[in-house]
Amino acid sequence: MGDAWVLPALPIAGFVVLLLFSPWLPRKGDWLAIGLMALAFVLVLVIGRDVQNAIGDGNFHGVARSWQWSNIPGALEIRMGTFVDQITLVMLFVVTLVATMMMVYSTSYMHGDRRYGWFFAIVSLFVASMLTLVLADNLLLLYFAWELVGLCSMLLIGYYNDKQSAAEAAKKAFITTRVGDVGLLIGIIILFTQTHTFNIQQILHMAEAGDINSKWLTGAAICMFAGACGKSAQFPLHVWLPDAMEGPTPVSALIHAATMVVAGVYLVARMLPLFEVVNGMPELITVIGLITTLGAALIGLTQRDIKRVVAYSTLNSLGLMMVALGSGAVGAAMLYLFVHAFFKASLFLASGSVIHATEEQEVDKLGGLWSKMPITAPVFVIGAAAMAGLIPLSGFWAKDEILAGLYHGPIDHAALVLVLISLPITALYMTRVVLLTFFGEPKDHHVFEHAHESPPAMTAPIAILAVLTVVGGFVIFEGVGKALGFHSGWLGFVYNAAEGPEQFKVVWWLSIFSVVSVGASILAGAWIWGGAAEPSKRAAAFSPFFYRMSLNRFYVDELYQLIIDKVVLASGRAVAWFDRAIVNDSGVNGTGEATGYLGFLAKYSQTGKIPNYALGIVVGVVVIAIVAFGYRT
Amino acid sequence: MESVHASIPLSNFIVLSSILFSIGVYGVLARRNAVLMLMSVELMLNAVSINMVAFAVYTAPTFFVGIIFAVFVITIAAAEVGLALAIVLRVFRNRGTANVDEIDTLKW
Repeated sequence: MGDAWVLPALPIAGFVVLLLFSPWLPRKGDWLAIGLMALAFVLVLVIGRDVQNAIGDGNFHGVARSWQWSNIPGALEIRMGTFVDQITLVMLFVVTLVATMMMVYSTSYMHGDRRYGWFFAIVSLFVASMLTLVLADNLLLLYFAWELVGLCSMLLIGYYNDKQSAAEAAKKAFITTRVGDVGLLIGIIILFTQTHTFNIQQILHMAEAGDINSKWLTGAAICMFAGACGKSAQFPLHVWLPDAMEGPTPVSALIHAATMVVAGVYLVARMLPLFEVVNGMPELITVIGLITTLGAALIGLTQRDIKRVVAYSTLNSLGLMMVALGSGAVGAAMLYLFVHAFFKASLFLASGSVIHATEEQEVDKLGGLWSKMPITAPVFVIGAAAMAGLIPLSGFWAKDEILAGLYHGPIDHAALVLVLISLPITALYMTRVVLLTFFGEPKDHHVFEHAHESPPAMTAPIAILAVLTVVGGFVIFEGVGKALGFHSGWLGFVYNAAEGPEQFKVVWWLSIFSVVSVGASILAGAWIWGGAAEPSKRAAAFSPFFYRMSLNRFYVDELYQLIIDKVVLASGRAVAWFDRAIVNDSGVNGTGEATGYLGFLAKYSQTGKIPNYALGIVVGVVVIAIVAFGYRT
Repeated sequence: MESVHASIPLSNFIVLSSILFSIGVYGVLARRNAVLMLMSVELMLNAVSINMVAFAVYTAPTFFVGIIFAVFVITIAAAEVGLALAIVLRVFRNRGTANVDEIDTLKW
């Protein structure tokens, strides 16, 4: 575990080699990237074995290892290093596994692309930064990795650099997360000024012990949560995620489903002891999560692009994870993160397979693909069912755990009610996209004729992810956990013995309610969108206001554009005017011209006439005589 | 020497010197002809010599510095005037005029 630093080093080496040499490597070097990633995954399993041995009976508080980074005695002593505990292990597993699957998938999806080698280089850099982020033991290193992850995301969203929309989307993603990142940086700095350390564990101990001034702590917590909101696309910084679908689908699967967007969730989970000390913070986290999840679910009902629907489902899931964290249910949130990575990545990669096969993204042009894509279609359906929370798929167990956490947690049960309302809506829009894409009559026969199943390099990873989607949720049971070598089920793994629930306790009526509501919702969806989808058209006609609100994503993007135009750009114009008119014209140019003008006037003293000069000499002598000698009387 | 001290006070000579000097300054500034300017310069130099000699006689009669200074001034004035008249002659031949007012090509 002390050698966990090797994990990011592998993909970094891959990045450097690929960046420099990929045009001359066979197949542009994708085998190097995949090989290093698979090796990293194996190392994660080895680390997992170490953690298993260390946990023993369940009192494991993580292993840290650090190196001196800067040493100004008394003023600034920073150590950088790694910290491995259960949460870290979950993230490491998820990141390396999904990255490996996605890279194998990309060999086929991105085949023949002009920037193929560069793609693998940047994905390797991304994985390296993500691994550094989850391994970081101090906030400064975490921030470095945080920014680097954002950079890679921007580079990959704008991958198709000849498309204006892709460039705009990349810019939007980077700027929106930047707004959050500023908050994160301010929070880190505030914490440093109060605690004189960047080390996360030390800060958490000081916060729990009450050693940090509560006003500063509140400010720091809110600022850091703003950073998490930016990266995890919570309201109001969610606007970049749907637009990020401009990037290639494997990118969407890795970055915007399984790994980067959960960096915010990871941050909140890691800093949760600090957030829980602040009054009102859990409520704030829950409210933001609820707005995100419900808003995204409502928007997903009307979107036409298959990738957008999955993007909004990601927003839905992220909001749910935040709600879980707001109630302090770290185990539930991490379980949802774990299974979400599998089913969301499989959904994205499967939709990529559909796009690859049909060259179409709009559900208006798809339909009836079940028969044409015998592997992709079931994978997508399984992923959608897991997303909806159908028993016994993994999504159900994770959602159930979140509901239980909300029920037992300190937050008012109104939050629980709202989450229960969001469950059927989620099932509804997932049913919609499944029906419109894979069932019913094909809406565009040309597209339908053209459709074919994807090559094995694409279908194998999604099949593996589908299998994990089905069985991933069972780790919650003690028996399964023990069979895998851990001392207990999921919750016992994540929490130490003294801290949280060890057993998976079922709140029966909640589980039954969620199963029933999801089932009913799926049936309703089948009725609404099955066949010729008459009820959906009636619904849209019945309430054009809600339909338009949902289709236009509640006009949040338009509002932001308005603010940018009216406030940001307008004040920019005012400042530009000041700079041009006052600083430049009056100040710099003005003083120059004034001096020139004075010189122009002064030249008239050079008359060329000797008597004038003689007069000047005489006057000068008189003045000197008076000044120098005149004081003596 | 005592009789000189008793009868004519030093201030007379200083006043004389100042008046001569001022007339010379006026001449330098107000004369248009170059030769007349030179004559005024001579007047200034002589005024200064009178001043030096008067001080030498009245304040330090055995220390002849002022008188020697006057001798130097006369010598240098002579040399300088020779040179200055040569220049004036040259300018007159070049420009056709000895009026300093009209020699102003080196202007803005």
